[in-house]
Amino acid sequence: MEVLQSDSLLKISVNAHVYTDVMLAKCFYWYSNNYEVDFRKSGNENFEITLKPLRTSEVIDWTTIIPKIKQDLIDFKLRQHITDETKTIRELIIAKAFIYFDDEDAPVSEISDPVGFTPQSIKV
Amino acid sequence: MMAISTKTTDHSRKFKDFGDFLSTPGYALLPFKFHRISEEKEVLVNEIGDFLVTPSGTAARIVAREVNPENPSDLELYADLIANFFISPSPLPDLIEVLATRYRTKKSFLDYFTSLHIFVISLRCEHTCHYCQVSRVTTDKNRFDMSQFHIDEGIAMMMKSPNPRVTMEFQGGEALLAFENIVYAVEKTKMEADKHGKHVTYVVCTNLALLSDEMVQYFYANNILVSTSLDGPAFIHNKNRHKANANSHQLVIDGIHKCREILGEENVSALVTTTTLSLEYPEEIVDEYVRLGFHNIFLRPISPYGFATRNTNKNKYETARFLDFYKKALARIIQYNIEGYFIREDYASIILKKILTPFPVGYVDLQSPAGLITNVIVFNYDGSIYASDEARMLAEMNDQTFKLGTLGENTYEEIFYGGKAAALSEVMVNESLPGCSECAFQSYCGADPVFNHTTQGDLIGHRPTSSFCQRNMEIIRYLIETMDRNKEIEKIFRSWITDRS
Ligand code: SF4
Repeated sequence: MEVLQSDSLLKISVNAHVYTDVMLAKCFYWYSNNYEVDFRKSGNENFEITLKPLRTSEVIDWTTIIPKIKQDLIDFKLRQHITDETKTIRELIIAKAFIYFDDEDAPVSEISDPVGFTPQSIKV
Repeated sequence: MMAISTKTTDHSRKFKDFGDFLSTPGYALLPFKFHRISEEKEVLVNEIGDFLVTPSGTAARIVAREVNPENPSDLELYADLIANFFISPSPLPDLIEVLATRYRTKKSFLDYFTSLHIFVISLRCEHTCHYCQVSRVTTDKNRFDMSQFHIDEGIAMMMKSPNPRVTMEFQGGEALLAFENIVYAVEKTKMEADKHGKHVTYVVCTNLALLSDEMVQYFYANNILVSTSLDGPAFIHNKNRHKANANSHQLVIDGIHKCREILGEENVSALVTTTTLSLEYPEEIVDEYVRLGFHNIFLRPISPYGFATRNTNKNKYETARFLDFYKKALARIIQYNIEGYFIREDYASIILKKILTPFPVGYVDLQSPAGLITNVIVFNYDGSIYASDEARMLAEMNDQTFKLGTLGENTYEEIFYGGKAAALSEVMVNESLPGCSECAFQSYCGADPVFNHTTQGDLIGHRPTSSFCQRNMEIIRYLIETMDRNKEIEKIFRSWITDRS
């Protein structure tokens, strides 16, 4: 990651093979309360992100913001990883949750209840 | 007498022997999100709202498959992650059905559809509160009281709700100015409820200034609950709630005593409305509630609706100031609990119930899908039907975005399943809203398109500048961090969400 800064601007360049546009959009969305955010692909290798303070009178201390951006980029990459890897199981959970919607009975399952015995094994 | 077979097979047990996991070379991720709650800690929250507070960097270690059960220092974490559905030893978890059922339970507040039916029985009021959103000081009953025709139509619509248990809430203006309308509505509803097999809970929201013995006796005879407003000690309450030539604070206290005497303590509740003035007195407000023997207090921020938004000097305050107020008040409430006086804060309790229990919480302002229409509907004094209480306040500013129709003109189907309800449902789910979709607090928070529209002119809203988001994110973070830091406080929080009222 490369960083260029001036009083009124922060320019960051990140490797496009590491961070996708979706990750960047999700990450820098949270900076749009204080900054005008622009990001575009530069060549095939990099994304260039520009942050401009919305309130021009404000003096920005970029040295506190840059580490936060670095951390957020990593966090949003992680989040995307989890989202992508668990997409199918998440859809399955939700589909299973509502597939029984019209049924009067609770879902029938081989699965035990939380105390470790199968419901079928209980004799009343 | 119940006999339990001791013969269990490995695949049917939720908690396997720990050794079963040790040979597992890797694990599959289950859907979860994370949020940094302090420098050292982060919270992991899974799809069904279970949470784990872990050292910072744990989410990264989980994703990188670095949590190794063969490593003694990871044993406990690994077991917690498995037991709490963050990871699974197999790609398709054995307990997928349990997860699905838990997910469904969390959303089961939707099962019965609309319960709360608000009847704005009159818009007239005898107070002139500076933050008041809707009321009119007038004697013009014909124009500002709900007509019997609209009451009848409202009741007919309420009876069509699929929900067998509905709440009929009378609001104003000052509802007691139209007491005869309340009596008419309750008597009519009793007959209709019998016919339709509905259980109806009645609530009257009132400032209690006009309360008479006859009214309390009627409430008692009909099991009607009383909800009032108490903003704190006299110097705050009277400033917030101006009533010409009268002491509003004394009137509400006399009213509370009278109601408690006849109806019982549990049938009288009070709400705080926080204004700019209140923000300076968090402790004094809590003290007043304790002095009056309350065991709960609901610290609500002032809403941005109606006339309130125009009175910028008196009413505008920063979310940060509210949060500061909230934390100070919460600290005072916790202190009372430590000293042996049980009192809970209701907003925290709603969130804590979502965090600490598998049960659904049907609180209109913190739901996904949002509570408008699915949980609440408002019949205004003039017969207009709105998607929520805030929506009708917005209408007083000539914004009819959330008007769904009119009593006597539109059918139940047109109102509840019509084009407007369908369009709104697109923005009622925080799982699909920008910012919320990645937020770890998604299952504890909600979607509020009315708030978004009012404050940002957009139904979807912009989370980074949303005070709804700022407020909820910080309160949720603070509650989790506080519980993690102090186990005594966690115990107190847990006592707030048990059945004690
Ligand atoms: S409103 Fe904010 S705190 Fe609530 S779920 Fe959305 S992003 Fe999270």
